[in-house]
Parts: sequence; C-alpha cells; structure tokens
Amino acid sequence: MRPASASARRSRPLLGTFVEIQAGGVSRGQLDAAIEETFRIVAQVHRLMSPRDPNSDVSRLNREAWARAVTVHPWTSEVLGTALELQAATGGLFDIGVAPSSWVDPLPPRPAIELMDGHRVHFVRPDLSIDLGGIAKGFAVDRAVASLRARDVPHGVVNAGGDVAAFGRHATPIAIRDPRHPRSILCQLELTNEALASSGGRIDLFESAPVTASAVLDPRTGAPARTILGATVRASTCMAADALTKVVMLGGESMTALLAHYRASALFLAADGQLHITSDWSGRVRLAA
Amino acid sequence: MPSAPRDWVRVAVPAAIVMSVAPAVYATRYLTVDEAQHLAFPAATQFTEAHVIFRPSDVAAIERLSGQKVRSRGQQVWRAQAEGRLLGFFIVDYVIGKHLVIDYSVALEPDGRVKSVEVLDYREPHGGEITSHSWLQQFVGKTSRDPVTLDRDIRNISGATLSSQHVTEGVKRILAFYETCLR
Repeated sequence: MRPASASARRSRPLLGTFVEIQAGGVSRGQLDAAIEETFRIVAQVHRLMSPRDPNSDVSRLNREAWARAVTVHPWTSEVLGTALELQAATGGLFDIGVAPSSWVDPLPPRPAIELMDGHRVHFVRPDLSIDLGGIAKGFAVDRAVASLRARDVPHGVVNAGGDVAAFGRHATPIAIRDPRHPRSILCQLELTNEALASSGGRIDLFESAPVTASAVLDPRTGAPARTILGATVRASTCMAADALTKVVMLGGESMTALLAHYRASALFLAADGQLHITSDWSGRVRLAA
Repeated sequence: MPSAPRDWVRVAVPAAIVMSVAPAVYATRYLTVDEAQHLAFPAATQFTEAHVIFRPSDVAAIERLSGQKVRSRGQQVWRAQAEGRLLGFFIVDYVIGKHLVIDYSVALEPDGRVKSVEVLDYREPHGGEITSHSWLQQFVGKTSRDPVTLDRDIRNISGATLSSQHVTEGVKRILAFYETCLR
C-alpha cells in the first residue's frame, strides 16, 4: 500500500521575519524531512548574510574587505553578483551599500565592490559597508524552493515576510495589502511556478497614527520613497522580484525596460491613489473594488 | 509566463475599500522580529540569539508547570542587553488560531515577569481582536505563579475565543519555559 500523501505548514523566525513553508504531495515522513532540511538551508542563508551575526559573510566583508580580498560562500557571491548587476543596470538606484553617517559625496564613478574569481570580494572604499537585506530574503526563498523540489515535493509555497514563491501545478492565491490601510486588501492574484515580492510603507498595527515614512530609501538622496506607497513585482526568481520591488518603489514607470529585461511584471500604488500595473499583468490582477 | 511589459495600465483605487476574501497568503507582515525586539526593549543595544534545545526532562517540566503540550523541540530566545547588562529575554513563538498560525512574541524581565506580548503576524480573516493593545496588556506583570488562564485572569474575547485561548496557553507555556530553562 502506498503511504497517504500529506500536507504541512510550518513557520520559523529567520531572516528577520517569519519564513513559512507550505508543502504537500508526499508521505508525512518524506515531507517532514524535506521541510526540516529546507529550514536548515534558509538558516544557512541567514547565517551567511545576516548583518548582525559577527561571523556572517556580510559582517566579515564589512570588517575586512577594504583591506584585503575576502573569500565568501558561493551563495553570497551569487547574491552579490546579482546585486552589482542591478546596481549597474539602474544607475545606482538599487544599492546594497549602506550610507556612512557623513554621506555627502555622490555615487562613486566606478563600482565600489569588486567581485573576483574564487568568490573573492574586495571593497574599493574603506568607508563602505553593505546590507543584503533588499535581496537576500528572495534568494533564500529561491534556495528553499529548490530544496523542496530536489526532495521530490511536488507542490508548495514559501513565504518569507511577503517574499513568496509557489511551485507545482496549483495556483496559490495571494492578497496584496493596501499600504494605506494594512488591514484591507488592494488586489488579489494567483501565483503558479513563479515568485512575488512586495515593498511598502512600514506597517505597524499597534500605532494608531499613520506611518508615512517608507522603508525604502533612495540611495541618491537618502530620503524615503514618498510618491510610491507600495510596489509588488512578479518574476521567475524571488531574488529578482525582491530586488526589483525596491527599484520600482523609487523609479516607478521609468523601470519598464529593466522589468522587461528580467521578464518581470510589476504594480505599484502611487500616493495619488492610482494603481499602475504593467500591461502584461493587468489581466491577472483582481482589484478589490 | 507573461510577455515582457510594454506599457502601464492605470486604475484609480480609492482608499479604504475593505474586501472580504477567502484566506490567502498575505503579502506583507505586521511587525518583523527586529521591530518587535526594539519595541519591547527600546534601550537594548544588543540582541543575542540562542536556540534552546529541550531535553526530555525540560519537556516534562514545561508540560507539568503549564498544563500545555510541548510540540516544538526547542525554543528560540534572544537575550536583550545594554552595555553588558541583561535587560530581559525576547521569545518568539507560534500557536494555531482557529485554522492558521499566529506568530507572537513575549518579552520577559530578567526575573521572569511578562514585559510585553505582541502579535507579530495574524493570518486568519477573523478574530483579529486579539491584536488589540488592551487585550495584550493584560499579560504584563504575569509570572509562572499566576493562573494565566482564560476567563480567570485573562479576559475572553467573544468571536475570537480560540485565538485568545491559544495565545493565553502559549504565554503560559513560555512562562514555564522561563522557569525550566532560563531562570
């Protein structure tokens, strides 16, 4: 007799948020083992890329990479590579550099980070430090999906605080919160074998006053994005979706070519209440109204 | 896969249209662990993470003290510190509401009194009343010697009975965890 197919939903605090895995279609034992192993992989991404862990690749880079080339894990190298590619493609709109406190100079004319053979990384500027918060969560979701698939799990959803990827033949309904009213929903859509990420205002249900400052800063000015209240991007990888939401938050409609390059779709809510959706996607987004 | 986007479609979306939907994956969070930590311990300069793995004797002690079943193999806990001084403990846990997981955090004083309880993520379409400040405020000051029981020292919420019961049970279990492993 074949063992019955099980399903499961597990959540753990990782990556500064909650990582939730929903999966099913294999036996209970196989599923539990696959989810356990997948959380281990997400925890490894957390250990490599957490800016708070003094032994993470990111902390080692921030301490030492201006003095000498630092060898990092291939995953860190992969995330850095994508980040630098996006930084170049957006003219610095996407930036993993953290502004030093006395940040006055414009962006440096040449890349401040050199990615060399053998996963070695060198920082050109001594005052540079990086934060992979805008992209590492998406990468972790992609690794989690790959891990579940490699263990023959036929369908599932991985959600790291709004960075979501779904795989398998089931369509997963996703509700996008209205950044103006976090308890109500702006629109709904379905996800099948693709990824989605959202950026928006800081949502704090425990403060009654509306939160106006955004969590996304414009690296050119250091000011929070204000004209766009929230952005959501769909892409084939969650790493691309995660990073592109920050770019759309800051660049809005001017990012069309970049979205096309990554074969991504986007929507964003402007401060004037207009929802902008890329035309390839508009038919699949169900509005709340 | 959709084709490459060529242009943008614009739709006016008036604010405050509340749509009731079937449970779906919500694409944003309420409060991150980082934010909740700093809310609970604004003076802290450092949060040190530890994962306490339960020994069988720990599980037995927590179950005896709390009357709750221990389902996890351990507990994630942060020590909140400022200049080397312990300000307290920050614990993230989850319980099932009616159908879905409720993520919540408990901040404890160094002596084990509850400093604050916050709901980090609530996914159910109903029963969100448990996220209200006044309800969560009831836990402040509780210790493992208090009943921490619904309808005794914690008020029930009509329409959110299961959620309020399960969060109350969760806090009681966390207090027993403190007595067993952190004290």
